[in-house]
Amino acid sequence: MSKIIEIQIDSKVVKAAEGSNLLQVARDNGFDIPGLCYHKKLTPTGACRLCVVKIDNTPGLIMSCTVPVKEGMKITAFDEELEQNRRHTLSYLLAEHNEEFDDSYEDEIRPLIKRYNLEKPENRPLKPIWQGIPRVVDNTSPVLTYDSSKCIRCFRCIKACDEIQGKGVLSFADRGISKYIVAGFGEWFNSECDGCGECIQLCPTGAIVEKPFRESLKISEIDSKVITTCPYCGVGCQTEIFVKNDTIVRVDGVDDVSPNDGRLCVKGRFGYQYANSKKRLTHPMIKRNGVFEKVSWDEALDFVSSKFSEIKQKYGSKSLAGYSSAKCSNEENYIFQKFIRIAFGNNNVDYCTRLCHASTVTAMLKSFGDGAGSNSIEDFETTDCLLVTGNNIIDTHPITATYVKRGKAAGQKIIVIDPKWTPLVKYADVWLQPKLATDVALLNGLINIIIENGWIDKNFIENRVEGGMQAFESLKELASKYTPEKTEEITGVSKEKLYEAAKIYATAKTAMIATGMGMSQQTVGTNNVFSLINMCLITGQIGKELCGLNPPRGQNNVQGATDVGASPVNYPGYIPVTNEDNRKKVAEIWKVPFESLDPKPGLTTIEIMNAAYDGEIKAMYIMGENPVVTDPDRHHTVEAIKKLDFLVVQDIFETETTEFADVILPAASLYEKDGTVVNSDRRVLRLRKAISAPGEARQDWQICVDIAERMGFKIGSYNSPEDIFAELAKAAPIFGGITFARIEKHGIQWPCYDENHPGTSTLFLEKFNTESGKAKIFPVDYKEQSETPNTNYPLVMNSGRLLYQYHSATMSRKSKVLNAYANEAYIIINPEDAVKLGLKDGDKVKVTSPRGSLETTAKVSDEVLKGETFMPWHFNEAPVNALTRNEIDPMSKIGPFKYSVVRVERV
Amino acid sequence: MQKELNKEQIISILQKYSPTKDNILKCLHELQDAHPQNYISKVILEETAKHFKLTKGQIFGIVSYYSMFSLKPRGRYLVRLCKSPVCNMLGAKSVTEYFDSKFNLKPGETTTDGMFTLELAECLGRCGKGPSMMINREVVTELDSKKIDEIINTKK
Ligand code: SF4
Ligand code: SF4
Ligand code: FES
Ligand code: FES
Repeated sequence: MSKIIEIQIDSKVVKAAEGSNLLQVARDNGFDIPGLCYHKKLTPTGACRLCVVKIDNTPGLIMSCTVPVKEGMKITAFDEELEQNRRHTLSYLLAEHNEEFDDSYEDEIRPLIKRYNLEKPENRPLKPIWQGIPRVVDNTSPVLTYDSSKCIRCFRCIKACDEIQGKGVLSFADRGISKYIVAGFGEWFNSECDGCGECIQLCPTGAIVEKPFRESLKISEIDSKVITTCPYCGVGCQTEIFVKNDTIVRVDGVDDVSPNDGRLCVKGRFGYQYANSKKRLTHPMIKRNGVFEKVSWDEALDFVSSKFSEIKQKYGSKSLAGYSSAKCSNEENYIFQKFIRIAFGNNNVDYCTRLCHASTVTAMLKSFGDGAGSNSIEDFETTDCLLVTGNNIIDTHPITATYVKRGKAAGQKIIVIDPKWTPLVKYADVWLQPKLATDVALLNGLINIIIENGWIDKNFIENRVEGGMQAFESLKELASKYTPEKTEEITGVSKEKLYEAAKIYATAKTAMIATGMGMSQQTVGTNNVFSLINMCLITGQIGKELCGLNPPRGQNNVQGATDVGASPVNYPGYIPVTNEDNRKKVAEIWKVPFESLDPKPGLTTIEIMNAAYDGEIKAMYIMGENPVVTDPDRHHTVEAIKKLDFLVVQDIFETETTEFADVILPAASLYEKDGTVVNSDRRVLRLRKAISAPGEARQDWQICVDIAERMGFKIGSYNSPEDIFAELAKAAPIFGGITFARIEKHGIQWPCYDENHPGTSTLFLEKFNTESGKAKIFPVDYKEQSETPNTNYPLVMNSGRLLYQYHSATMSRKSKVLNAYANEAYIIINPEDAVKLGLKDGDKVKVTSPRGSLETTAKVSDEVLKGETFMPWHFNEAPVNALTRNEIDPMSKIGPFKYSVVRVERV
Repeated sequence: MQKELNKEQIISILQKYSPTKDNILKCLHELQDAHPQNYISKVILEETAKHFKLTKGQIFGIVSYYSMFSLKPRGRYLVRLCKSPVCNMLGAKSVTEYFDSKFNLKPGETTTDGMFTLELAECLGRCGKGPSMMINREVVTELDSKKIDEIINTKK
């Protein structure tokens, strides 16, 4: 903390942190000094000259935005001369400025014009000349329009893009009076701009304005503004939703709150269209003779509950299962798992986390005793070294990535491990590009180098690792096989690069790891993460501030859904199903007989599908998931679902899965509900209802409660999500101290055990969450894949995500804006393979694996290694999971989405 | 005759410069000179941005800032005729007229064979010996029709 000093502004004594910005200090203390180029989130520019003040013992007028405050400064903020000067400067600006205004944005100049009495042209000392300046209008971007005639050359957009978002897309072009803002070579759409809209949010004059609703939106006539959490990824950005006529018309970032401090990505800002889509489900529907018929809620609920009861009667409680949802709130997931455990009477509840980070969580739980990210999102900026592995962080966690890019600008070292090029490579100090599925060998190789060079942290190993140096010795022995030469042979990564990466990571003062789907979605997913953990432990790069291991979560509430117990093995708060004391405690909270709670772990997602295929599971209740697209081996999934006697899908849209349902129940979207979610850094954040749900769509939790009741189970009577959360906080100690009141403005990071607990920004500072309080090393060997390229299937296919689409694209593809950026599937093929196959960029190709085939477009690029390919999996018309295997990682039961052998042919 | 500077040629020039900020202008000059049409083409912009790790907008900003770079194709030779007062007094205007009548070349235009572009420039610092002009990097002073013919002929 910097020193607090005193200064005087217009004779008033004001306290401030030494070195803070004078203009900001003055404004914070009620001195409304004008200024257009300054913004508190940006470095000062000193371009507009409106913020002039006088400082005692300093000659002339000084731009206050460029002055750091010092003890004893005496400032004049307002006097006749200063105001005259400001008025004159403003009229200069106005002469070059087009004042047309359409009320679709907040204009910072207009109030100043009024304040300085410059509204009437005759009051202005200078005549307008803007009509004579070349006018540049760039309308090519799907999200914004730039008009140079309204631009005051303040630098705010350039700095917004560069300093806040770390992209540097914008620049001035030309010189002198005809200077204008340029993206790309003059066309925004063909620049690197990804449409985050940060520049729109910071433009003071309407030179850069938002395109959607430009024609109809009147900011002064907005009905309401509601602060809620972005419904897309697991960063959990705080958004302010502008509502007009029960329709979302704009989304802005909320300043001064974590995790995003006002920043948003293109999905968060422009991906809202789906909520008001005409395609929303609005009525319950029952399938009769193959067609869905609209029915009343009463009829639907009666039908669903009687069918569930009937099947439970006939085949026993083990014949029922449910998928919960990472796109629903904590309260809803909590109620859903409670529903399954009480009404179905088993623990067959899981959700798509099984498909993304189950392996990561499994390994972390075993080694650390906690499966969540150890650090805060802000730490991505301030740690000295960041190792990003199998994680396309810029596309999949764009706002976390802004912290990384800012860190890089301040000297952070970045190591990228990825078989495929990702945009982060541009910022990386080293990029290791191992062959697909060789990660364990790679990491053991790094561990070998670290040990050989004495870069281990002996102290940490002795004090914080179970078994101390003895445990270390067993890892050392295993790693000794992975000499740099051997590792290079397996992975294809040169010895030199391995050495460089090992050195940077192990010798950094603080180092964090971000691990993603590239590591977790393999048949050896858990082992991959064990290897990472081993490296982390022997170097002591965990258990301290700015050190640790983080799996950024894909969906808005993946973290929360597991936290609140949507899991076949854990009760709310990660307490194993098998823990009798806890079951007793929970039975009491739930007011059910203890014996009625099944003590045996339930089935995981893929196991549920397999059991359905085998005829053991007869009925399923799916809330907000689309397994036909998201589960591996689509053909198998569809067959399994078809075998069910009864399927209920509760969702906001028809999906590839609802097609096979017997009953479809319409639910509210995240914009339409109150409650909480947990983001990637374990922060419990509020959801607030911004608009009403369409038609008869209802809150997911209410539907669950009603079905249970009609099945004869009372799973609780709640008036609001707040009531549910209060119960959750009792059942799960990690939430014990959190209440809605406490997270009204700022979220709290769990664990938070009691009302006075501030929450936890870094995990494991004192101890790990295992029984012994120490972390465990699990040495693991590299194993070859059971499926390897052969003459029939000579290539390997990797899969992943894009910035502009989300998950199975049910939500994101309803957005015109997002589709304008990316709406087509493709397969990336290395140029050498393309030559061999006689393929050109843009050719239509057929991709075949032993499981199935699909058609898509070839994209020839050296982003992938020879012999490897990559496909984004969002697009149903080119369903990647028609090609993937349903072989699973034995420990975590995750599917291998990142590795399938394929053949590519021209069609 | 080659009309474009292709990607390989551009990259081989770029490779001569380490990607530090102070090299950008020098490098752009060499690229522009090497381009048969004497300008910064889109491919040059793209490759230079990549080489110096800049965004497209940033490199465009630099190029458009300096008047010595052109974003439009120009003749092989760029004739920059001084239009400042001293040269003007010494007869620059008649030189302009001579270019027009003899070569059908007006300021801002390029000859049909793509050899010469005529531009008007600010003072070239050779006021004592005006009228002056530059043809690419070479300065020519005390211009008259004979001298102009001579020079143009040597370049053709
Ligand atoms: S929209 Fe975002 S990426 Fe595009 S120019 Fe503006 S700040 Fe930069
Ligand atoms: S980074 Fe994630 S949470 Fe933030 S705005 Fe984008 S999609 Fe939403
Ligand atoms: S706000 Fe200080 S110069 Fe613009
Ligand atoms: S006036 Fe022409 S060279 Fe100076």
